[in-house]
Amino acid sequence: MRAGSYDSVLALAVGAVLVCAVAALWLSSVRGVVRVLAAQGLALGLVALLLGLHVHDTALVATAGVVVGLKAVVIPTLLRRVAGETHSRETRPLVNVPASLVAAAALSLLAFSTTRDVVRLVPTGAGKLVPVGFATLLLGFFVLVARRKPVFQMVGLLLVDNAVALIAFLITAGVPFLIELGVSLDVLLGVVVLMVLASRLRADYGEVDLDALQELRD
Amino acid sequence: MSPDLLAATGLLGLAGSAGGAVVGLRFRIPVVAGTTVAACACGLVTAGGVLSGGGPVTLEVGGIMPLSGFSLSLDPLGALFTAVTAVIGICAVIFSLGYHGPGLAGRPASTALPLFVTSMLLVPAASSVTTFLVLWELMALSSLILVLSDQRRRAEVQRAGEWYAAMTQAGAAAILLALVLLAGHAGGQSFAALAGHGPGMASWVRNGAFLLALVGFGSKAGMVPLHVWLPRAHPEAPGPVSALMSAAMVNLGIYGIIRVGDGLLGGGPEWWWLTVMGLGAISALFGALHSTTSTDLKRLLAYSTTDNMGLVLLGVGASGIFADTGHRALALIALVAALLHVVFHAVFKGSLFLAAASLEQGGGSRRLDDLGGLLRRMPVTGTVFLVGSLAISALPPLCGFVSEWLLLQAMLHGLPTGDVAVAVAMPLGVAVLALTGGLTAATFVKAVGIGLLGQPRSRGAVDASEVPAAMWAPSGVLALGCLALGVAPVTLVPAVLRAARVVTPAGVGDPLRHGWRLGLAGSRGVLDPVLLGLGLVAAVAVAAGARRLVQRGPVRRTAAWGCGREAQTSRMEYTATSFAEPLVRVFDDVVRPNRHLDVSHTSESRYYVESIEYHSSLDDDAFERRGYLPALAALRRWGDLARRAQNGSVHRYLAFGLVALLVVLVVVG
Amino acid sequence: MSGPWPAATQLAVSTLQVGGVLVGGPLLLGLTRKVKARLEGRTGPPVRQPWRDLRKLAGRERTRPEQASWIFPLAPLVLVATALVVAAGAPLVAVNPAFGTSADLFAVVYLLLLGSVALALAGLDTGTAFGGMGASRALTIGAVAEPALLVAVLALSIPARSSNLPAIVSSSLAHPIWLASPQRLLALGAFLIVVLAENGRLPVDNPGTHLELTMIHEAMVLEYAGPDLALVTLGESARLVVLLGLLANLFAPWGIATRPGAATLAVGAVTVVAKVGALGVGLAVFEVFMAKLRLFRVPELLSGAFVLAVLAVVVALVVP
Repeated sequence: MRAGSYDSVLALAVGAVLVCAVAALWLSSVRGVVRVLAAQGLALGLVALLLGLHVHDTALVATAGVVVGLKAVVIPTLLRRVAGETHSRETRPLVNVPASLVAAAALSLLAFSTTRDVVRLVPTGAGKLVPVGFATLLLGFFVLVARRKPVFQMVGLLLVDNAVALIAFLITAGVPFLIELGVSLDVLLGVVVLMVLASRLRADYGEVDLDALQELRD
Repeated sequence: MSPDLLAATGLLGLAGSAGGAVVGLRFRIPVVAGTTVAACACGLVTAGGVLSGGGPVTLEVGGIMPLSGFSLSLDPLGALFTAVTAVIGICAVIFSLGYHGPGLAGRPASTALPLFVTSMLLVPAASSVTTFLVLWELMALSSLILVLSDQRRRAEVQRAGEWYAAMTQAGAAAILLALVLLAGHAGGQSFAALAGHGPGMASWVRNGAFLLALVGFGSKAGMVPLHVWLPRAHPEAPGPVSALMSAAMVNLGIYGIIRVGDGLLGGGPEWWWLTVMGLGAISALFGALHSTTSTDLKRLLAYSTTDNMGLVLLGVGASGIFADTGHRALALIALVAALLHVVFHAVFKGSLFLAAASLEQGGGSRRLDDLGGLLRRMPVTGTVFLVGSLAISALPPLCGFVSEWLLLQAMLHGLPTGDVAVAVAMPLGVAVLALTGGLTAATFVKAVGIGLLGQPRSRGAVDASEVPAAMWAPSGVLALGCLALGVAPVTLVPAVLRAARVVTPAGVGDPLRHGWRLGLAGSRGVLDPVLLGLGLVAAVAVAAGARRLVQRGPVRRTAAWGCGREAQTSRMEYTATSFAEPLVRVFDDVVRPNRHLDVSHTSESRYYVESIEYHSSLDDDAFERRGYLPALAALRRWGDLARRAQNGSVHRYLAFGLVALLVVLVVVG
Repeated sequence: MSGPWPAATQLAVSTLQVGGVLVGGPLLLGLTRKVKARLEGRTGPPVRQPWRDLRKLAGRERTRPEQASWIFPLAPLVLVATALVVAAGAPLVAVNPAFGTSADLFAVVYLLLLGSVALALAGLDTGTAFGGMGASRALTIGAVAEPALLVAVLALSIPARSSNLPAIVSSSLAHPIWLASPQRLLALGAFLIVVLAENGRLPVDNPGTHLELTMIHEAMVLEYAGPDLALVTLGESARLVVLLGLLANLFAPWGIATRPGAATLAVGAVTVVAKVGALGVGLAVFEVFMAKLRLFRVPELLSGAFVLAVLAVVVALVVP
């Protein structure tokens, strides 16, 4: 692969990860957000694949396979199941959509301005893209903060996880295969636990949002 | 150039003021107007000489004031502001000859008007701390008198005056502190001494002086959150005075920030200018949003002044950042853009305020919902207002577009300079500029569309008639200025460049290609306003010709479609409130209107509604409600406490003295 | 850009572009209607139907509401004029038409705004509720779209270090790798949404609606009839063509004539027509599957476009 087109395809894939995070803030339907998450998993797998091919690292290529399998297929399927009524929407987010999108713009500018030094530490072409990973991280956190439904909380968590994986890929050009596998499985476990919790909640209280849990404090 | 004309400006102002105080009613207006216009003319000629490269004009008069003489020195930067004030002054004073509005003929007002104009002409020429402060205070007091000239008839005027007096005095105090701080550390009070020592002072002095100056001058420029006086005082002042305040006085706030920050202190660290840009961005957005929701024509214009000064501050801040990071050519370009916007704002806001005063006089109200249909009844004034509105919306080929384009260019070319703060600030600056641009267009479509077009909405608007030539001519001249400067900014750019060079780092070649086409040196793109204007006119002409060719018979006047109803009355028209409603809803979190919904039910059943009443008002803005009113309440509580402490008992006062003595002893020991 | 451009050629290019935009606008409308009809299982009117309508309208009487002033007849002229001025200078057929050095992307934005303002004023000039409603909604959408548009312009101008249209196009021709870069795709997304909003297409406004209360653009021009209505339609369609053509050449400039010569110009003309036609078909397909958004959800859409534009700038600064 020529150097120029490698760089640009990599940048495209990383950009797609970021755009998926924005889309998760933009959309309010559960179905759409889960779809976006799957797309992000695919893009992330593509990033790993490209990096692996570039440095001729078979482990990284294998990681790419795992990432796609877990993040683009397994977890979205699980989420779809936990969400149950896939036609449901986030109707009353804590921060409304236009405001969250403007906040997203501000967060990405912030991520860009604060990660300048990290970029300088990583001289590779991929290292330049690290700010995009940080922006994705902040957006994922923002989804956690700004949305009420448990499904969206899980989505936020997964966005953060994807962002961390992306940053790791970009900085180290590949975390060891085992570690990535372990982290992914951890997250999978977390999702399963949350899924069980959410379905129990729904069974006990009907459709609830997380703010209702505040009443359990006393 | 000789300083005689500068002296003549001051003397004419004083003479006019004395004349206003002494001469009887019959000759008062001619005397006051004549001397004020003459003072403006002298100022204009002097400033024109300086701006065309004649070198600074200096005037020292010893012995007028204690401690120091009165020293004036007009350099190109000051001359630009003096020239703007002079032009607006001439137009506003001529306009006032035909204006029947409140109380300009009264003795206090005619004493204050020449003083106000003259002090504004001379403030940019002041070259020592005492001279500057005396002139500044004179300007503040005389404008206060003018604002209050209608206070006997309307209570709002008095309230506006109170806000204005408090804010302007607080601002003056901040400026006083800033300049005294600088003078104390410079060991002299002439601006030359300050500028000589300013760059080398300790950083706390520099920071303190800059922040104090930013507060003081910013409040004069209507910068958020110190803008609260502006949307009250500008609408309540008599028409020509509003024009003078909004088109000339606020500029001096900008002048002060540039003079102190760039001139006396010789530029500063990046965070100063980021602060300026941030405050500018907030002012621009806040002003634009509130002018969108205003239904009072003059209040709308006043908020839009805050908006435009915000844009100017964006430019000033960007220029400071570029200067600090060593991009001198860009610093110069950004400052030129800011100064151009000052001049253009003065021209279109002057014409808009004067036209608004005419509309108020002709249509009997300044509430947009009482006007309507005035373009047909007051054709000249209506056209003037339309032209001003298009110019303020930055639409080509009028002047507002040129300065915004240049500001956008400065931000665009500054973006790849590599600095992080720049990389964050510039895209946000562009976004702010864009959003305010869109909101301004909506605002002025509302002002023109509701106020001038459609059906008249009140008796006064039905009976409206054109104002006398003394009123439409000055505003018309300014409107023509919008067009001329928009098509040929070449006439102004060299002078503005000379002004900007006074305070930006030296050693820059010519960063602008300023012929008939405006462009940045080294960049391929140019703006060709003449071509744009000609192209538009030609295309309109061709389209009109084509329509003429196919047209058969005369144009038929028809009734408008009303969903089958026979007659369309003005009650069915969109109002200013309903026009702005979608925008209020979009920006609900920022604007936060007061809404009340009263539903009363019939006595028989809760299921039947007897009446529904809905009120939505936006009389005060969020800063007032959240910031100023609580602060005032707290102040009042303190006052009550203080009153309780002071019950008149001599023993208690002696006890206070004892306590104070003890405190001093403890602190010193 | 290679080779000098004779002034006569440049002028010919501009004339060609203006003529093409004028003729092509209604045809594009016809094409989208035809495609939509086919997809919905109808035969639909022929592609040249809008031109027949225009001819019919041209022969009708001109009318003017009782309360309207001279703004009302002037507005359609201004609308057409702004679209034509942009068409004359924009790099559609060739990189460097006449007036190319002063064809500035920011100027294009403000010129189009002038056209919108003129129509909105005309809507209010009729003195009816519908005119006011349309004007208010159109300008609300316009105001919210403006930041996305200008920041996207900024993102596009960064690689060329200029907002000059020929400079942008020729710099992306010189560095084809930029075309697929994320910043361009992000800016493209923002641009597309804004073009839909500014031209009153779905999901922002329904160009085929016949219910006054749901109209935005149609409500503003409700009172126009005869030749005036023809001008409004012509202006609106010209505007759509110019914007789509600009979009095509900013993001995919292949085929545009970079040096003077009959052959290259012919290629340029054919490719730009093909690109605009393809975009028009895409627009029609998109509209078939899209429902109109509620008015107060439009800001969500446009703030999304704004984020895309900001991200484009960020990525452009990260990946130089």
